[in-house]
Amino acid sequence: MTSPASQSDSASVKLHRALYMREAITDAAATFADFASFAVRPEGDHFVVDVSGIDREVEGDVVAEFCNFALANTAVRRKTRHA
Amino acid sequence: MTHSQIETLDAGTSTLTLSLDTGLYPRDVLYAAAYVFLDRAYVLLDRDGSRFLVHLRGKQALDEPTLRAMAGEFENELLAQALRQRLVRANQRILEDITGLAITGAAGGSMQEETAMIDLQDSADDGFLDDPQGIATPWEAKKGALEE
Repeated sequence: MTSPASQSDSASVKLHRALYMREAITDAAATFADFASFAVRPEGDHFVVDVSGIDREVEGDVVAEFCNFALANTAVRRKTRHA
Repeated sequence: MTHSQIETLDAGTSTLTLSLDTGLYPRDVLYAAAYVFLDRAYVLLDRDGSRFLVHLRGKQALDEPTLRAMAGEFENELLAQALRQRLVRANQRILEDITGLAITGAAGGSMQEETAMIDLQDSADDGFLDDPQGIATPWEAKKGALEE
C-alpha cells in the first residue's frame, strides 16, 4: 500500500477494489478537483489513483482527505444500495 | 494469529495499522466503524488475503498511548457496529410493520373505516350525536336562551 501522506506535488494511492467503489472514488476526485488532478486506473486488486498538481497552499493533507472522502462515499453508497 | 491486532505503530508519524480477520468482521461493519473515525483520523482500508488492514493516521499529532487507545476504540467500535447491525436485522420485520402502520395512519388509509366504532349510516348508532343532557350545546346558545 502506498501511504496517502504526501509532501510533493504528486502522489499515488492504491485503493483496494473490494473495499472502494469506483464511483465513490471519482466522486471524491470531483470534490477535490480544485486542489489537485486525479487519474484513476485499475491495476490488479487495486484502483491506483495518481494525484498531481497538488495545491500546497491548502491547509491539511489533500490526498489523505481525498481518501477519507472516497471511503465515506463508498460506505454511504453501499448503505443506500442495501436499504 | 489473533482476530485483530496492531501490525504497526509509529508515534513519530501518528500512524498505526490494524489487522482484522475478514471472517469475523463483515465489510459493512468495517465501513461503519471506519466512518466514525473519519473526523479525527485519516483512514485507509486495504486487504491482504484473509485480513483487512486498517491504516489510521491522526489528524493531530498523537503519542504512543493515544495511538494504542485509538486502536482499542476502533476495535470497540467494530463490536458495537456488529451488534447494531445484528439487532437491526433481527428486528427488521417489526421496524417495517411499525413504519407501515405509521405511514398508513398518516395517509388516512382505509384502516379508519374498518375499525370505526360508530356506524354513521345507522341513525340509532350515532354515539356522541345523541346528547340528552345538552353537553354539546355551545355556551353562547345556553346563555342566550337564559337571557331571553
